[in-house]
Amino acid sequence: MIKDFFLTLVRNRKSLAGLCILAFFVFVAAFAPLLAPHPAKADRVVTTKLVKAETGDPETVAEGEASDVREVETYRVTTVREYEKTTDYFPLKAKPGKGHPLGTNHAGQDLFSQLVWGTRVSVSVGLATGLFVTLLSLTLALVAGYAGGILDDIISFFTNVFLVIPGLPLIIVIAAYVAMKGVLPIVLILGLTGWPYPTRLLRAQVLTLKSRDFVRVSRSLGERPSFVIFREILPNMISIVMAEFFASSMAAIMGEASLEFIGLGNVTVVSWGTILYWAQANGALLSGAWWWFLPPGLCIALLGTAFVLVNFGIDEISNPRLRKR
Amino acid sequence: MKYFLRKLGMLAFTLFVSISINFFIPRLMPGDPARALLDKMEGLPPEQIESVRAAFGLDTGDSLLVQYGKYLGNTLRGDLGVSFSRFPMPVTQVLRIAIPWTIGLLALCMVISFALGTAIGIAAAWKRETRLASFSVGLFSFIRSFPYFWLGLIFIYFFAFRLRLFPIGGAYAVTETRGSAAWWLSVLRHGTLPALTICVSSIGGWMLMMRNNMINVLAEDYITVALAKGLPLRRVKALYAAKNAILPSVTGFAMSLGFVVGGGLLTEMVFSYPGVGYMLYQAVNAKDYPLMQAIFLFIAAAVLVANFIADIAVMILDPRVRDGAA
Amino acid sequence: MGSVPTLELRDLRAGYSTKKGFVRAVDGVSFRLERGEFLGIAGESGCGKSTLAYAVMRLLRDNARIESGQVLFNGTDVAAMPEAGVNALRWTGMAMVFQSAMSALNPVLSVGEQLTDAVLAHRNATKAEAEAMAVEMLGLVDINADRLRGYPHQLSGGMKQRVMIAMALILKPDLLIMDEPTTALDVVVQRSIIEKIDELRRALGFSVVFITHDLSLLVEISDSLAIMYAGKICEYGRSRALFDEPLHPYTEGLMGSFPTLTGPVVRMGGIEGRAPDLLSPPPGCRFAPRCARAFEGCGREDPALRDIGGGRLCACRLREPGREGGRR
Repeated sequence: MIKDFFLTLVRNRKSLAGLCILAFFVFVAAFAPLLAPHPAKADRVVTTKLVKAETGDPETVAEGEASDVREVETYRVTTVREYEKTTDYFPLKAKPGKGHPLGTNHAGQDLFSQLVWGTRVSVSVGLATGLFVTLLSLTLALVAGYAGGILDDIISFFTNVFLVIPGLPLIIVIAAYVAMKGVLPIVLILGLTGWPYPTRLLRAQVLTLKSRDFVRVSRSLGERPSFVIFREILPNMISIVMAEFFASSMAAIMGEASLEFIGLGNVTVVSWGTILYWAQANGALLSGAWWWFLPPGLCIALLGTAFVLVNFGIDEISNPRLRKR
Repeated sequence: MKYFLRKLGMLAFTLFVSISINFFIPRLMPGDPARALLDKMEGLPPEQIESVRAAFGLDTGDSLLVQYGKYLGNTLRGDLGVSFSRFPMPVTQVLRIAIPWTIGLLALCMVISFALGTAIGIAAAWKRETRLASFSVGLFSFIRSFPYFWLGLIFIYFFAFRLRLFPIGGAYAVTETRGSAAWWLSVLRHGTLPALTICVSSIGGWMLMMRNNMINVLAEDYITVALAKGLPLRRVKALYAAKNAILPSVTGFAMSLGFVVGGGLLTEMVFSYPGVGYMLYQAVNAKDYPLMQAIFLFIAAAVLVANFIADIAVMILDPRVRDGAA
Repeated sequence: MGSVPTLELRDLRAGYSTKKGFVRAVDGVSFRLERGEFLGIAGESGCGKSTLAYAVMRLLRDNARIESGQVLFNGTDVAAMPEAGVNALRWTGMAMVFQSAMSALNPVLSVGEQLTDAVLAHRNATKAEAEAMAVEMLGLVDINADRLRGYPHQLSGGMKQRVMIAMALILKPDLLIMDEPTTALDVVVQRSIIEKIDELRRALGFSVVFITHDLSLLVEISDSLAIMYAGKICEYGRSRALFDEPLHPYTEGLMGSFPTLTGPVVRMGGIEGRAPDLLSPPPGCRFAPRCARAFEGCGREDPALRDIGGGRLCACRLREPGREGGRR
């Protein structure tokens, strides 16, 4: 079922484009250590020059951040005659140029590396929150839609109530109370405020499916609820559940960036949002350092577009009227 | 009428829930932030500490329920506590300075972007086969994915910093006398970029929503009937297609409202626009919890009332809702 | 009959393009409809009868279009007209009643607005005059004038369809096309609607093209009948004669698939199999794969619609001269 769904997605031009962009970011996130020239917070490079005992030729054998040096020393110490260590600090607020394609920030950290590492945080927070929201709202929707009765009334009522209470101000107030140690609190806050809209949509879908003949027959034949839910209702909800997952992930990435930009996240974590926070805090804008604040926003926009494109595809697949003929 | 009363009841209840959330947030947070705050406040004037105690119900000996009752009473009377950062100003008074700016900026932008986005959506669906329509759908989906605050930064960079067409932030020129023509002109100049940010970011959402609704409606039989009747296309488009398609848009307006308001708040922060959003930013930085919570309450109330208005609009537009049939 | 017919189709081809190719839902259809005549067009769903109706009104949208042929309405070819000309002709010359009355009325406009807007668009009338016309038409279909202020959702299914009929006739068109107008209604309401149409036709003198999948509806009121199968007319004739003695095996099958209310209880036959895929119709007679009486020649050659005398046309090799089944 899920395989079929992805096959149809790949056949749609829009969703294929979206999936490609998404795959690119997931790739960058997964292979950040290989793609980033420096660790997220490196502000210098230590070069160790060794001179070979036999030839006397100087040879640079190790280039890396400060922490790597000790190992090099012990490893080569028997074969070399002497070595010298030069510590090369990155310039502060450098323009893009050799060695720093996107320049450096106020602490002399390489912005390109930060962007790559930030992808890891932003993408994983986005997808994790998306998953959390989807599971939460799917559970609520199934319980409400399938069980019906008073349980449904209660869940629907509260869904409608929380649906209209503005999310961002609530998130900001909650975040202001919470000490941000890692990114987990962000996932929790965004997750616990993001459920009403998907719950409403998914519940409607559960109700539609519940009234379909094949589900009615199963129920009247006395099939166990778990069978009806997991074998008959859920497989027919894949596209809408995925659409909600993508939409929630996008909202989460935006929400995370917003919180961090305001300074309500953990500003010591390197993510797209915190890069923007530091850019703003150090007046990147008014010193014309476009390379500092432009790329993270573009990444967010590009990733957001990817989610939108995938959902366009899903819409077209599930709603023939939108299909272009 | 039944519909109206139901919506009115819903408004009252959601307001009540927002007020309750406001009460419980500080009390449910792990690590007792209020007490931590109190510890940090040592050395401050005792009356200030006292106000904090009252606000968070610390050491009062009252049970949670009694505190809740007192809080509800105070809130309904309009007493939301005293601001920490602008002690001893009551938060309502602090809030009052910011509200006109936000309402002026946000309400105006919302109306403009909803009207414009809806109009573009109608056109894009009506002529959906044209290249311009497909292009605009693509463009608006891309723009919609920009974070509001980032778009604001870009605008500041290009229009204020590079081209020097508009001021970088604030809402008016401090050098002009308040209320003079020049002052109003400066308000306009200061408001342009924030307004542009909000409109550009939110227009895409309305546009795409309206386009989808229109496309669904255009497949309905009554559109074919209208065409078969040989009616002028303008009439078919407006009264048969758009009038039906806008109904889910108005309902959707209610749901997207919170999102747009959130974006508006961020925009204010970027532009240091002295509205509620920027005040929230300052309150967060100053750890001025009473002010923060009052701002949340104000925004929630404003959004809920706007929602209620949208519900009434649906009632006026849709005869089925008027009869309680849907 | 030297007069110009109300409607004459000449070798009309129409269809819609899909990803897999062009589906020719109407494939070389020709017929004449005289002034005041009631023509029934019957066939299974998907045989192209609705496409035919939409083609006549030039209402084919999006991916659908008229390929070739002529649609002569009072002697002028609608298929070749500029859009403005067609628009002027719609509702004044020909009007249409649609399948689903439920969804054919605009839910957010009052009944009165929907009745009068066609008048205001085509005639130089004041609002009051248009409303007077609307009240008169509602009277003809037995609906109280106070419904003018009401909205569609306040009407029952039958009432909606009668409003649609009133709407279609408000400008006194020469031709009324009805595309399965009673499908969504229950049997009793169906009957009252059909009787109403017949009554109005006698009173106002318009011609009717009545499209249905249910041949039994047409028994009593239609003057002539065309049976459509897979985009083509396979049999045509005066209703009475066609009912008494169907010539095409498909017509027989179609008649066998409905119970007669008055006749003896018979087994409902129906027809085995499904209509062919119009994307790639089978060679030879399109009905041959489902025909119980097909012989080897049927699969090779497509039989033409031939005049077999007595005003009857049939496209079946069984009816060709020299065949055992030739007209007795």
